[in-house]
Amino acid sequence: MKVTAIGLLNLRRVFRDRANIFFVIITPFVMIFVMGLFFGGNQQLRLGVTGASGPLAERLATAFDSGDVRVERVGDADALRADVERGRLHSGVIIPATYDSDVQSGKQSEVRLITRPNDWGAVDLGSWVRTAVQQEAALLKAARFAAQERGDSFDDALRTVATATVPGIDVQVSAGGRAAVPSGLSQFAVSAPPLLLLYTFLTAMTTAIGLVQARTSGVLRRMYASPTPARSLVAGEAAGRLIISLVQGLLIMLGSALLFGVDWGDPLGAAAILLLFSLIGGGAALLLGSMRSEGGALSLGVVLGLGLGALGGTMVPLETFSGTLRTIAMFTPHAWGYEGFAELVRHGAGILDILPQLGVLAAFAAVLFTLGVWRLRRVLVAGN
Amino acid sequence: MPILEITDLTKRYGDTLAVDGVSFSIDEGETYGLLGPNGAGKTTTISMIVGVLDRDGGEVRLDGRLHSVTNAETKALIGYVPQDLALYQDLTARENLRFFGRLYGLAGAEGTRKVGEVLEAVGLSDRANEQVAKFSGGMMRRLNIAIGLLNKPRLLILDEPTAGVDPQSRNAILNTVQQLAGEGVAVLYTTHYMEEAERLCDRVGIVDLGRMKAEGTRRELVSLVGENDRVLLKGDGDMKQAAAVLSGMPDIKQVTVDGADAELIVTDARGTLPGVFETLTRAGVHVRSVEVREPDLEAVFLHLTGKALRD
Repeated sequence: MKVTAIGLLNLRRVFRDRANIFFVIITPFVMIFVMGLFFGGNQQLRLGVTGASGPLAERLATAFDSGDVRVERVGDADALRADVERGRLHSGVIIPATYDSDVQSGKQSEVRLITRPNDWGAVDLGSWVRTAVQQEAALLKAARFAAQERGDSFDDALRTVATATVPGIDVQVSAGGRAAVPSGLSQFAVSAPPLLLLYTFLTAMTTAIGLVQARTSGVLRRMYASPTPARSLVAGEAAGRLIISLVQGLLIMLGSALLFGVDWGDPLGAAAILLLFSLIGGGAALLLGSMRSEGGALSLGVVLGLGLGALGGTMVPLETFSGTLRTIAMFTPHAWGYEGFAELVRHGAGILDILPQLGVLAAFAAVLFTLGVWRLRRVLVAGN
Repeated sequence: MPILEITDLTKRYGDTLAVDGVSFSIDEGETYGLLGPNGAGKTTTISMIVGVLDRDGGEVRLDGRLHSVTNAETKALIGYVPQDLALYQDLTARENLRFFGRLYGLAGAEGTRKVGEVLEAVGLSDRANEQVAKFSGGMMRRLNIAIGLLNKPRLLILDEPTAGVDPQSRNAILNTVQQLAGEGVAVLYTTHYMEEAERLCDRVGIVDLGRMKAEGTRRELVSLVGENDRVLLKGDGDMKQAAAVLSGMPDIKQVTVDGADAELIVTDARGTLPGVFETLTRAGVHVRSVEVREPDLEAVFLHLTGKALRD
């Protein structure tokens, strides 16, 4: 009963504070939404086109259009440049006013590509524009050749060439393994699991400050003066941290399912990851809560919460990490939680499929929770 | 019958002997003041009595039972009011009391009733549902005491309960302590205010450097260190002649006269004064005013520790 009373008191104290409600509940949902927009949704690259509007120029502009590239007509070159600079367009193409006549008369024509530095979308788009221009140029050359050889008009020759079926060289693409993010998966299903890990751990770290306060203000000592054994006090404080993480995790799971349609996969698997990760956060919080200074605990808590979160792939997807960094990431519980959730949410795995991840998380939990309980009990009975 | 009996209590931190063979006892209804300069070992002694710190030697008995950090039965007899404001400031007064009550096994209707009682006792009933963070320092101190009363303790330990409170709250706290002692609660009281110890404590123990330097009633302590009373007189008449007569009285150790003023050093002012008046009247001296200055605990404390209590 005393363990429950202490645990529930911790829960009540966290969730009665409006600032905490914002941080513990509202912020994760805002971040799931924002990161979801970043990860997924409409990934079409936007290409602006301006300049000549003759039939040949229109042909070229149409050639730029594809499933991944959306072509937008822009009034003039200045407007195009401004849109690219502001990031509204990934890149822009200026087709010279003399394009049609130059092409028809066999003159060299120059198409200008406007991009922004360090824009990866622009790099992809530049490559696509060059390919499209080369294909169009090959067609135009073939049409010119046909017109000269057969004495047709250029327009007739172009129509003939464009409709001709000429066997070419095809590239067969076959993918090995599986996509890190399967197509059709909701972008929020990509953003929610890592953010659950990030926020439950961060919250655990911040609740550690409350433990330091309880010690330094003499509250814990007063509790120990009551007929409550040290083991019950430590168990109560540990239960409090565990309950807070579990409640926050469950709220994120249920909320993201309702608000963003996130399917967390096998409920048993998801619950197992959440429970083990909450134990890890709780253990770390007990360790941190045994520190002497509130300021020290706060600083270390923020560093650990954000540092391990970043390293474990909860801010930037683990799949984008290089080999060495990926290896280092696997020393964090976050990375194992990330992988476990990825299996459940992205690939429809069940609890048995994620036993390796659960095993590592259980080991982290056992070590941290044991250390945390041992350390807090030691501090308590030493009269600190 | 003693509620608390401490025998040869010892605590060592590395090479430092923080508490060195301290012994004392407190009877039912008795208020015992534990005084000592900072670093004297008071807090360590109290921690061992409260049961939050293991002792290295000696024993603590509560109501005849051996007490330790693991003895929940004897811990339940103690009400502890720490020096720190050991409260959850983000909770209301009632929530704090209900929570600490649960740690003493007070739940349900009994818990509600007990919480109401202690709120009434410390005069916080009308503020029970306010967040503690909004309380004044005095109100927080009163709530701090209320928590210590929840379990209806046989021994109430108050560690500097009036530190930093306004005079009104201090008076209320002292009245509460006196009332509790009147109801039979044994009280162990530490303070940095000598006037509080003088007002409340039936007996006082003075500790320094981990050792009990002296203990007893105020009178016993004063006589222990050989301090005398001083009587300051103002009179009309021949004071020099009167002084010569007074010097011959058995309890008067010294007489000094300066014009109409005379200062007598006596072993017991209250016992000596009737004889002094009679002698002066016979000598034709009309006494206009008398002031008796008995040696106080501050003087005893200074004598024993070489420091003032607030050092």
